Amino acid sequence: MANIDALRQEVSRVLSEKIVDVVLGFEAGSLPTRNQPVFIHKAKESKRLVDNGFGSNNLAALLAQRPKDEKIGVICRGCESRAIRALTVEQQLNRENLYLIGVPCRGIIDWRALERAVDGEILAVAEDGEDLLVTLKDDEKKLARAEVLHSACRNCRQPDPVGTDVLIGELPAREGLAQRSPDVAAFLGKDADARYAIFSEEAERCIRCYACREACPMCYCTECFVDHITPRWSESMVSKGGTQAWHIIRAFHQTGRCVSCGACERACPMEIKMEYITDRLNEDMQDMYGFEVGANDSDQPPFAAFSLDDRNRFKE
Amino acid sequence: MSYKTTPVNQFPKLVSQWIKKYDVTAPAEAKNGLEYKTIGDPAEMMLNNRVNTTYAPKAFFLPQSEKLFTVEHGRFQAPELKTKPRLLLGVRPCDTRAFWLLDTVFLAKGEEDAYWQRRRADSLVISFGCDTPCASCFCTSVGGEPFGREGSDIQMTQLEDVYVFEAFTEKGSALINKLPEADAATVKKVKALQKTSAAEMPKAFDNTNLRDHLYALFEDDFWKEVAETCLGCGVCTYLCPTCYCFDIVDEVQRGERVRNWDTCMFRVYSQEASGHNPRPNKAARTRQRVMHKYAYWIDSINEFGCTGCGRCVVNCPVNIDIREIVSAAQARSAKMEAAK
Amino acid sequence: MSAKPHFFLFQCQYCLAASDDQHWVENDLPKNVKLIKTPCTGRISPMFVLNAFQSGADGVLISGCMPEKCHYIKGNLGARRQLDEFARLLAYLGMQPERVRFVWMNVSERGRIQQEVVDFEAQLAALGPSEKFAAISASGNAGGRYGQY
Repeated sequence: MANIDALRQEVSRVLSEKIVDVVLGFEAGSLPTRNQPVFIHKAKESKRLVDNGFGSNNLAALLAQRPKDEKIGVICRGCESRAIRALTVEQQLNRENLYLIGVPCRGIIDWRALERAVDGEILAVAEDGEDLLVTLKDDEKKLARAEVLHSACRNCRQPDPVGTDVLIGELPAREGLAQRSPDVAAFLGKDADARYAIFSEEAERCIRCYACREACPMCYCTECFVDHITPRWSESMVSKGGTQAWHIIRAFHQTGRCVSCGACERACPMEIKMEYITDRLNEDMQDMYGFEVGANDSDQPPFAAFSLDDRNRFKE
Repeated sequence: MSYKTTPVNQFPKLVSQWIKKYDVTAPAEAKNGLEYKTIGDPAEMMLNNRVNTTYAPKAFFLPQSEKLFTVEHGRFQAPELKTKPRLLLGVRPCDTRAFWLLDTVFLAKGEEDAYWQRRRADSLVISFGCDTPCASCFCTSVGGEPFGREGSDIQMTQLEDVYVFEAFTEKGSALINKLPEADAATVKKVKALQKTSAAEMPKAFDNTNLRDHLYALFEDDFWKEVAETCLGCGVCTYLCPTCYCFDIVDEVQRGERVRNWDTCMFRVYSQEASGHNPRPNKAARTRQRVMHKYAYWIDSINEFGCTGCGRCVVNCPVNIDIREIVSAAQARSAKMEAAK
Repeated sequence: MSAKPHFFLFQCQYCLAASDDQHWVENDLPKNVKLIKTPCTGRISPMFVLNAFQSGADGVLISGCMPEKCHYIKGNLGARRQLDEFARLLAYLGMQPERVRFVWMNVSERGRIQQEVVDFEAQLAALGPSEKFAAISASGNAGGRYGQY
């Protein structure tokens, strides 16, 4: 957890010294378990910023629509910094216009899981070390933070921000970070029919609101394949074919690009699991081509690079 | 009309009888919280939940994708509509109010939508009076009530161990006329509960002259500020019980003409064939959503096109709260007025 | 159950150097094989492959040039990374991996495409019809959460 005063101070400094025009962070939302992304335009507004476990978006997703020459400060956790790096490699962002303020991350709380765990109207939530103190209407409950952490954060491999301009607070010692997604391993442990059944059941709930796409920092196409009408690439309906095509192709377009922030899953109102697909694709890219998203400032995403020596299943 | 009653523990038996005649559809547990399900066993239904279902029941009358007709070898064929009557059980009054609002759209005289009309006529709606509002609820701020009766055939209320039913339509009273009559004391309790529930519901905003406030801000930068963090996804509108926009698409491979929901929050919604987009940015699209609900509906039928169910508030991925937008709009417009 | 499996042949138009092979592909393919000719394997979008399965195909056979022999120099190198991974993705989600097959053609291999088509057909016949990923034709007329398309 960053020292919130130090964070606000830094934001107010970069704004007043005109290092940036605007700073992107989180403020408290309208419900106790939500944060709202906020663009801070004036130094004195920096007191609106908060740093807690409810910032469920990936702030990098909000950068693409900003004016090209605007200087933006971004408060970054690990996943946001990696997304920004990947977007810079893909020439979607100009790193020179960004001022990255790194903060240590303790993982994002899945508000849906929290609300289910306490079962009652939540009036306030306070973080106390490894615990959450939840105030209900006529009760107070204590929960372990780890219990209601979002699965993407529980599986996170790189929670620490990379390539930032300044770091607020100290990075905690990390131990026992999973190197491979346990969700992928569990999925692979099932037989093909069971895997297809799970995928179908998840995709079937889709309402095609595309919140996953919009919440994703790496989905920046001006025209998405599902919006394309000449030719039409997939069924437009909320049908088995339509929703499956969306989930398969969306995930596939993230191959070696997904930063595993889980913003898609947290944005999904139908609580569809998506990371088990993209994590697997990423692991494949790492195994076959040694590629890891956001690892450095130069490596092109694997489908933009290729060589004669690629391992593959083409018959020779 | 009269009040009927049944003990809570006898209710499953009654539902079992209904199941024989109807597709009884009630909130039930699903992977993503609660969802309406056609139940085969009364034990599945979950009435009197603290929260509403994520997905609004308008989809029973306006499905998200609907086949309008099929073409095969040059021959047109109208789809067969399902005929088994549906009994929607335990719908919250905010959602039934939405049915009532949408009736004005799809059953407008001379312009009736055959699909909506048929589905609506084939179904019976039993609403469930709300006695504990959520933090995201604001029905009383937009003309609704926790015990609002619009759009339902029967309303049921829970009084400790009895359910009390009140029918508003003939269809409704035919369903419950064999149940025992409620005594005067019970009726009194129901009426008292209705009153206190409405009074206890906190007002999110004062809706007087809201339409004029919004029109005053039409060209203002206000919308740019509101939409600054909007992602442009369709969560708010697809979960909304009153949003009804649709797009008609030809699925050439299937030989079908299909009607799909569409949303003003998508860029392609208003995109014209020439490439010109009259709502080119998120600010214009957010303005459209808010103004449609709180100004354009008022213009056409003098009711708000929002029922205060709070789904958009709960599920917006970036927590853009429509109640805050409205309050801020009122404050901004009042300030502009004062400056004049 | 239909007697013969249906499948798609996605073919790069340069992969068959022998004109009689190309003629065979264009005119004499068995009826249960649908040909999609592309300028290069690089043109084959994973969405083509998915659409093939969604429209009820039992398998997809992709035929392209040898890695260093691409007419467009690098088109097939990009394609093989993508398509191979896409096939792995479908397998991960439950499809039998044998339903997608890649054939890497050398200009000197006359008559090989005929043999590959026969082999692939036998392979698919052994697997039986594909039931996964097909966008089953509508029985109802409403779709979405509270309807079934």
